[in-house]
Amino acid sequence: MDQLSVSPETAESLKNLSQKDKQELNQFIQNEGQKAQIQATVHSLTDTCFRKCITSKISSGKLDRSEEPCMQNCVDRYMDANLTVIRHLEQMRHS
Amino acid sequence: MADAKTAIMDQVRQQAALQNARQLVEKLNEHCFERCVPKPGTSLSSGESTCYTACMEKYMAAWNTVSRQYLGHVQKGVGSGGGFGGI
Repeated sequence: MDQLSVSPETAESLKNLSQKDKQELNQFIQNEGQKAQIQATVHSLTDTCFRKCITSKISSGKLDRSEEPCMQNCVDRYMDANLTVIRHLEQMRHS
Repeated sequence: MADAKTAIMDQVRQQAALQNARQLVEKLNEHCFERCVPKPGTSLSSGESTCYTACMEKYMAAWNTVSRQYLGHVQKGVGSGGGFGGI
């Protein structure tokens, strides 16, 4: 969630929002931020795993019997690897 | 007249959707250009166009699979570098 440019009128009326509205808006923006983060990760994972799993010539628009599990494994293994990295970094920090 | 809160919420949603679309287009083109246009000619041949269609469909299918798989993890509370709250 990068910049959000609002009109001067909107910016002005934001000041007059009730506490409840402000909280609601805050929560909403946080949620949207998390969703955007998830989307970005899915894009990145698809990018990487597509390269690893779809290696033969593309003839159909569906994932075949080996490609589908490969994509799923790719996501799972990537997350395992991510955990490994974090754990290892923690170890390095404490030694 | 839409109040400020609704206006902001709409704008945030719109920007998120745009961002998503932009990322998708970029990746689709990147992959499918690589696969389908090995030697750029003076125009896109019909073979190249057909390849593009299959490639895009395949990529979207892959995207959906990844999304499902990843969301499964997120919902279980395993996030990269920390937990995600309920989405």
